[in-house]
Amino acid sequence: MQTFAFWAAATCYAVATILYFAEAAFDRRKAGTWGRIVAALGLLPHFAALALRWAEVGHGPFSSRYEVLSANAFLLVLVYFVSTLFAPGLRPLGAGVLPAAFLLMGWAVDTMGVKNEVPIIFKSYWLWLHIGFAKLYGAATVIAAVCAVVYLVKARRPGRLARFPIPEKLDLYAHQFLLVSFLFLGVMIVAGSLWAHQSWGRYWAWDPIETTALANWVALGVILHFRILHGWSRSRMAWLTLVALGWMVVTIYVVVLVTPTIHNFYMVGEAG
Amino acid sequence: MSRLWRLLRSPRLALTALGAVALYCGLAAWYPWLQTGAQTAPRWAAALHLDRPFSSPLFLLLIAVLFLSTAACTWDRTLRVAALASGRVHLGGIQLASRPGADLRSFLRSQGFGSPNASGVCFRSRLALWGGWVLHIGLLCLMAGVFVQQGFHDGGAFELAEGEALRLDAPRAVFDRERGALAATLPPSLEVGLLAFDPFLHQRGYAPDRASRLRITRAGAPSVEASIDRAAGAEVGGVTLFQAIPAGLALVVELPGGEIRALHVHETTHTRSVGSFDSPVGRAVIFAIDSERPVDDPAGTGVLAVSSESAVARAVLTPGAMFDFGGTPARLVAITRWGGFTYSIDPGMSAVFSGFALVLLGATLLTFPAGVAQVSGAGAGSAATVFLTRGREALAAEWQRTSGQVSESEAKESS
Ligand code: HEM
Repeated sequence: MQTFAFWAAATCYAVATILYFAEAAFDRRKAGTWGRIVAALGLLPHFAALALRWAEVGHGPFSSRYEVLSANAFLLVLVYFVSTLFAPGLRPLGAGVLPAAFLLMGWAVDTMGVKNEVPIIFKSYWLWLHIGFAKLYGAATVIAAVCAVVYLVKARRPGRLARFPIPEKLDLYAHQFLLVSFLFLGVMIVAGSLWAHQSWGRYWAWDPIETTALANWVALGVILHFRILHGWSRSRMAWLTLVALGWMVVTIYVVVLVTPTIHNFYMVGEAG
Repeated sequence: MSRLWRLLRSPRLALTALGAVALYCGLAAWYPWLQTGAQTAPRWAAALHLDRPFSSPLFLLLIAVLFLSTAACTWDRTLRVAALASGRVHLGGIQLASRPGADLRSFLRSQGFGSPNASGVCFRSRLALWGGWVLHIGLLCLMAGVFVQQGFHDGGAFELAEGEALRLDAPRAVFDRERGALAATLPPSLEVGLLAFDPFLHQRGYAPDRASRLRITRAGAPSVEASIDRAAGAEVGGVTLFQAIPAGLALVVELPGGEIRALHVHETTHTRSVGSFDSPVGRAVIFAIDSERPVDDPAGTGVLAVSSESAVARAVLTPGAMFDFGGTPARLVAITRWGGFTYSIDPGMSAVFSGFALVLLGATLLTFPAGVAQVSGAGAGSAATVFLTRGREALAAEWQRTSGQVSESEAKESS
């Protein structure tokens, strides 16, 4: 049942991706509407797959690559939909969000069979803030980057992608999502350090991933300052937003895979 | 003085300091010798103080420059934000020109602005104008708080066997101590006793892990008992005690006069634990325990074989039997386990927490796009000067789309 629900969700995201692309490439409004319907429908089996796994292993989606990536994909699509409630202009950006969610599902699937008990330090409310905001940070950064990419395309070929917001709006959305990323990453770091103190009696240990997250937060500060203090906007800012995306990928996905850190458990691909 | 002030509040210095801190931290995260279970740092790194990069003079200098630059910018910003929040829009606003047929007031309302007051000023998320300012005040508190916290921080590790009690301020009771320059010279005067220790307690839903029951006694206060595990410690009189991962086997020996000593042996291989101890007359004796299965096997160690070795004799020990402990007759009473613990004192944390809270509050406010508009004229003849924290180009483009005509001109920054 869990496997079926997961594949149903992945299929919906794949179909939605095609529909969103059709909307973008051929200026088909209807395709976009159907894309949104199919993507929203995909959230239901996706939620079911996550809930069934939760019930089976007795903990939230934090302790294997499958659980973590699947939950990240779910939150990415959910954050996208919630954002479109506030800014309907964001709707066509599903053309960037849904493929990203589908890719995460694809990466998750080969570790579907991995099931672990979580360590006792997970008995903490800080965990929810720390991990929850890490996922939200990832989602906000991906959406900022999608805005930036569309901005760059539209800036080069103004006639293209007519169903997307005007470049000025895309620039604003990217800025807005980057600020949200800055906030979410900040909450993640703070909650993580309070959690570390609750369990280990130290707030900060300069663990590689802690340090990378801090450097990432400061780097986001630098990027935002380029706009505020030097008036950078448009294409230059769009490229810097893609740098922010790179930092996010390194912080959340790369460091844990290439260096030994206290966070290795969350991307493990084998039963521990 | 004014040159220094100008330098401190310059955006270039701010960006350079921020960029340097980000780069330094980013690189240091990858120093191989900082990673779990790593070797010591190479000599060249130690010479540059990079073996402890986050207390190196270079890092502290970068943080000091960042602190001063942030303080100068925030100071500089205070009056400007206060002026904007009281409706003075001339500071870097855009002009939206009037256009027959287009109602600027309802356009501004559609963009989230409230209705103009008697002087024609209206706001969008007025409080959020303070977001950046609050964020930077928070950053200053945070940096100062961490500085104070580091100054007063006191922490260290200790071991206890089941049934053993220890005064933390006794000589050699605490090891791996880390103490700030302003912390007390001695560890806290607490006596901690280990009433029970389970290295593999299986709590529902979690992998087996250590858990302990402690009796903690502070001078002049009644003892308290507390259960701790690696999820949470226990606080007594400003000192928090935590369960640590290390654990091992201990020999409980009885000395003449009924004195009991716990000898903690440490693993040298998965099935052999060894320790060297001075006897009451000062002779070194090595004790070893060989186990059938690994010491950290949750199923148990299996059969244990205990032996001792000194300069003059080797012996196999059995529980309950007498043996020669380096010239003193002793009796092996029991074989038990010891657990590792740490303590921590952090009096500066309230400053750090207030810093954190302000940073997060400021960052939250920043996510609301704030604005101030000064509307002049009435009806179709209305024009406005609008200041926005972000999205000026989008607003101008939107007005252009709505009204078909905009004269956008950046007002000169007055300060
Ligand atoms: C300590 C590290 C710092 C961090 C993490 C940081 C972070 C931020 C962030 C996230 C913003 C919001 C940007 C936006 O609205 O897009 C901001 C705004 C700003 N920052 Fe910083 N900043 C730091 C230090 C500084 C320094 C040293 C200066 C001195 C030039 C400075 C000057 C400003 C100014 C003038 C603003 C605009 C504030 C406003 O809108 O009221 N910041 N900063």
